[in-house]
Amino acid sequence: MNGAVPTAIIVVGLALAGYALLMTALNRRTGLGLLAVLGVLEILLLVLVGIIVARLVGGGRPAGLATLIGYLIAMPFVPLAAGLWGAMERSRWGPAVIAVAGLAAAVLMVRLHEIWPVIRV
Amino acid sequence: MAPPEPAPSPEPAAPPPDSTRTGPGRLLIAVYALFALSASARAGVQIATNFGHAPVAYSLSAFAAVVYLLATVTLTAGSPTARRIAVLSCSVELAGVLAVGTWSLADPATFPDATVWSGYGSGYGFVPLVLPIFGLLWLRRWSRRARARQT
Repeated sequence: MNGAVPTAIIVVGLALAGYALLMTALNRRTGLGLLAVLGVLEILLLVLVGIIVARLVGGGRPAGLATLIGYLIAMPFVPLAAGLWGAMERSRWGPAVIAVAGLAAAVLMVRLHEIWPVIRV
Repeated sequence: MAPPEPAPSPEPAAPPPDSTRTGPGRLLIAVYALFALSASARAGVQIATNFGHAPVAYSLSAFAAVVYLLATVTLTAGSPTARRIAVLSCSVELAGVLAVGTWSLADPATFPDATVWSGYGSGYGFVPLVLPIFGLLWLRRWSRRARARQT
């Protein structure tokens, strides 16, 4: 598998976390810029879910199939939940929530590679 | 009744958050929810597929998952009773990560597979060690505020 999508998710996730933490440090609320980057992250995660499902349909099987399916279901909800929960907060702590989603997405890619090494980073 | 105490120090200029789920609590709950989700999913898979491989580690994973879920729910609810349960679950969590962390280093044979709390949470960037401390600090602010309001 081409590692471009997982790598892009790590880069966008870490950039989002940095951007969001900067907003927290500057005492800013969640703005459109942050939500736009969060949207990009969401799209990338959905693309990755599609790639992995296609691979499973094609007959590939990782050792930890149950864990992988759990990841496939949970992954797309990370930016979604962070966006809703963070947008409810009208203070600097909204962006901090979004930073958690960015970091979580990056960590998820490393874990995915451990579960199924064909998912390269 | 709370004992009389000196007047509380003035709050910072920003308006104080009106619930345990707002302000810094928002971040705390987000991290707790993430751990509740990952710990319960992980424990569920471990126990369902291969419990005999590491029964102690997997049971502790499940216990940790319950504690994280409880903390997430009670911090979000934020009522006085919920706060009391949250203090309890954060305390159990802190005791758990310290005890299991020490146990996993002293007796690695019992832990052929890791739990959330193995090595003081080293597999999770030590977040499991830091999280209950922040939780307890946040809850202490709330119990102080409630006491100040009473007197």
